Amino acid sequence: MRRRSFLRAAGAGGVAGLAGCTGGGGGSGSGSDSGSTETATPTAEDTAVATATGTTASSTPELVVATYGTFVDAPSTSPGRWIKETFESEFDATLTFETPDSEINYYIERANRGIDIDADVYAGVRVRDLIRIDEQLDGGLFTTVEGVPGQENVKSDIQFDPSGRVVPFATGYVSLVYDRTQGAYGDYSAPETFEGLLESEYEGDLLAQNPASSTTGRLFLLHTIQEFGPDGYLDYWADLQDNGARVLGSWSDSYGAYQEEQAPMVVSYSTDQVYAARSDENLDQHQIRFLNDQGYADAEGMAMFEGTDTPDLARSFAEFMLRPEVQGEIAQQWVSFPATTTADLPDSFATYAQEPPEGVAFNYEILRDNLSEWTREWERQFASK
Amino acid sequence: MDRSAGVRFVDARGDTAVRAVPPDPVARIRRRLPGTVSAAGSWVERHALGLVAAATAAILLVVFYFPVATVFVEAVVVDGRVTAAPLVDVLTSEFYLVDILWFTAYQALLSTVASVVLGLPAAWILARFEFPGREALRSLTILPFVMPSIMVAIGFVATFGRNGTLNTVLRALGLPTVELLFTLPAIVIAHAFYNAPLVARVTTAAWESVDASAIETARSLGASPTRAFYDVVVPQLRPAVAIGATLTFVFTFASFPIVLALGGFQLATVEVFIYSRIQSLAYSEAAALAAVETVISLGLTYLYLRYEGRQRGDSQGANPESRRRLWPSSWTLREVGIRTVIVGYGVVILAVFVVPVASMVLTSVTGGGGLTLEHYLFLVERQQTGASYQVRPLPAVRNSLLFGAGTLLVAVPMGVVLAVLTTRRFRGRAAIDALTMAPLAVSGIVVGLGLLRGLVFGVEVLGTRIRVTGAVAVVAAHAVGAYPFVTRSVAPLLGNLDARLVESARSLGATRVRALVDIELPLVAAGVVAGAAFAFAISIGEFDSTIVLAEGSSSYTMPVAVERYLGRRLGPATAMGCLLLAVTSLSFVVIERFGGRYGGRGGF
Repeated sequence: MRRRSFLRAAGAGGVAGLAGCTGGGGGSGSGSDSGSTETATPTAEDTAVATATGTTASSTPELVVATYGTFVDAPSTSPGRWIKETFESEFDATLTFETPDSEINYYIERANRGIDIDADVYAGVRVRDLIRIDEQLDGGLFTTVEGVPGQENVKSDIQFDPSGRVVPFATGYVSLVYDRTQGAYGDYSAPETFEGLLESEYEGDLLAQNPASSTTGRLFLLHTIQEFGPDGYLDYWADLQDNGARVLGSWSDSYGAYQEEQAPMVVSYSTDQVYAARSDENLDQHQIRFLNDQGYADAEGMAMFEGTDTPDLARSFAEFMLRPEVQGEIAQQWVSFPATTTADLPDSFATYAQEPPEGVAFNYEILRDNLSEWTREWERQFASK
Repeated sequence: MDRSAGVRFVDARGDTAVRAVPPDPVARIRRRLPGTVSAAGSWVERHALGLVAAATAAILLVVFYFPVATVFVEAVVVDGRVTAAPLVDVLTSEFYLVDILWFTAYQALLSTVASVVLGLPAAWILARFEFPGREALRSLTILPFVMPSIMVAIGFVATFGRNGTLNTVLRALGLPTVELLFTLPAIVIAHAFYNAPLVARVTTAAWESVDASAIETARSLGASPTRAFYDVVVPQLRPAVAIGATLTFVFTFASFPIVLALGGFQLATVEVFIYSRIQSLAYSEAAALAAVETVISLGLTYLYLRYEGRQRGDSQGANPESRRRLWPSSWTLREVGIRTVIVGYGVVILAVFVVPVASMVLTSVTGGGGLTLEHYLFLVERQQTGASYQVRPLPAVRNSLLFGAGTLLVAVPMGVVLAVLTTRRFRGRAAIDALTMAPLAVSGIVVGLGLLRGLVFGVEVLGTRIRVTGAVAVVAAHAVGAYPFVTRSVAPLLGNLDARLVESARSLGATRVRALVDIELPLVAAGVVAGAAFAFAISIGEFDSTIVLAEGSSSYTMPVAVERYLGRRLGPATAMGCLLLAVTSLSFVVIERFGGRYGGRGGF
């Protein structure tokens, strides 16, 4: 408490952060401090909010939102801060982010070992995460969410949880991004079909990502399985590999190499131009191609932990996230598409965020039964050269 | 170094050089002892070695063996039953055995050869030539060690890529271009980038500890310079080169992000699969793979340690040879030849080290089609307005420096004491040594998971959950990863010392610690400083344990900040990376200056 009142008196972001640091270090200075379980104590909450609210922090309910680092920290595309400030300004609550490096696995591990979970909500659940939870935990991790205002506006084709625990809040499509300036006369164009990628003129032109560690890599692999079937995709990948397609570790690896003009095509998101336009880049280097006129849909949602001590606040958060103006803001900041049909978006958004003529995706049951085997077979084939 | 006792003279080659008068260690023992005999009664001083060794064992147990065991147990216990199935599965799988483990070992071997070939000339130049900035350059040799893989990947694509600097130069010269990226050579060069500095640094330390009087004796007995080099210098360098090579193999065997970034999945190593299995919570398979990986790395380390244990010298200590000038006073044919070799080597260094680093710096000031400072302005802005859940640059810098300094203070005593203990001869010494080296041989991903389970989640004892996280835990984890470097930088040099030096001191009444601090350490100061610099570097570059134990953005370090700033553009992450480089460079120079003074005060 003393530290908090000091923070308010000081009222400077720099001091707040500093006190937060010493707090974190000092809390475990004894080496074994059973009391320092909170990972992000609300000591250094946004100072504007801290100074504005005269109430003591203990009487303000706290909503702990677990998510991944990019959601709050990547300078280019993090809606976290806006969400926190907007949510707190309306609800008399403190929103605390928790961003463990192992993401959803962190909570699965905790649940598996019977250790309390502080978080109330997880933002950023994908279908793959849900499968892991259901494989690992008998009791489950999340509770069913029904009847949240706005839930009826969520696009029906991106609802991926048959048990109704996850409410999607954003979606996107995986596509090819290509660089028109790289052709012999600055007229490079990506092929229009999967078969086209096998032609010799595209040899060594494609950068993809490891499906075991990267979302875009995994969804691109699934798209090829959608196209060629579980019995045909490995043959397709053998041909793709023969034609010099490269699979790198992460999206950053491959996109970095793409920007250095190491290859003219990269597997990425169809919203690529939103960010490129925002940072005044040459849009010719950010062309979108939907192979076979399809894009593989990537939906992510939020879910409420079973052990949450603030279920009402968690529901309020879900309702908040689905509001038209919040959906519009998330889509622009997160560079994704809204999950609802009612989002407020400027007309310019559609200019750069491209939707495929057809979105495809496997459903939960098929992925639960096959995803790890499909990925393993692919690994075994691709890695053995 | 304190040159006051030195004499100026002109050596046989006509180069002017300054060299210290050869010290008489036994005389120095006598000089120092009167004041220490009475103080030697202190219990702590007499038991200091044992106390530090016990503390080391305790730290190892808490932040390494116990956490790691919580993961490895999954390799042999499935659903509560003991089974060999996961290990058998890995060892009978043609895919894992032939395609993955064999390839992993093969690329590690190539990388080791490349690192030694690239590192040795640097050691020769740094140890044997005098030129302005030599000490600073020596300090900076281990800089690559701390570089986040994403930055190295960016630098390498910009340098060796299809349209990279190398191909641009080749095109300008009318030469054919090369496709290096996403091939085995790209991985090998990247591994040499990380590890050649390691080889160079430990070898330089050994070379600087070669006793010039031994060479002079050989020469006076009629040996040619070449003969004296092979008979006197080479035997003393061999253990250093061997440890550099061993460590390089162990590291590159467990290499992970850089392999996929520059090689691609068709060149996947075993660590890629350990990571993938842990991600998908297939723990028994991950643990089995990691166990096999560890056994191979430890086995190799054990072989090295047995070799190191056989080395025994009778060096009276560091009375280094005089250095030659890089710019000779007369240009004989031989001098011209040597300088041509150095220039050629310099070009290679330029391509492998300087251009990639310069490319990273360039990326941090490029954006929107031109030069810009916006990425650095982002750092300033984040510093000023960043929220508590975001990583801010200055706290990251401060945390890195604090953890680095803490690691140095903990790891150096740990490492030195273990080096002393391991230079004693006893049965099974190499096996115990290998156990203390285990932190280097276990997959960082496995250690991270173990720390999460064992320390962050804690253990229930009498109804209380005991957890170990935060700064102290981070420093302890870093120290565990770092002290083997101190041990291995110091042990070969200690082993080279004439055992009679310590015996004389002991017979004159000095405690073992007093003999160590006053006699041995000053004589192997080069190794201690090298070890200290490594300890600091390990701490700065560490990622897996830090991010697990730090718990929250306010305790994150510089490499974590680099990773967290990655988004749709590389600029902010590379700007943070350049800040990391700047801060780390400065730290290394400070460490070596400070360490050099210690050597100077005690030794010469």
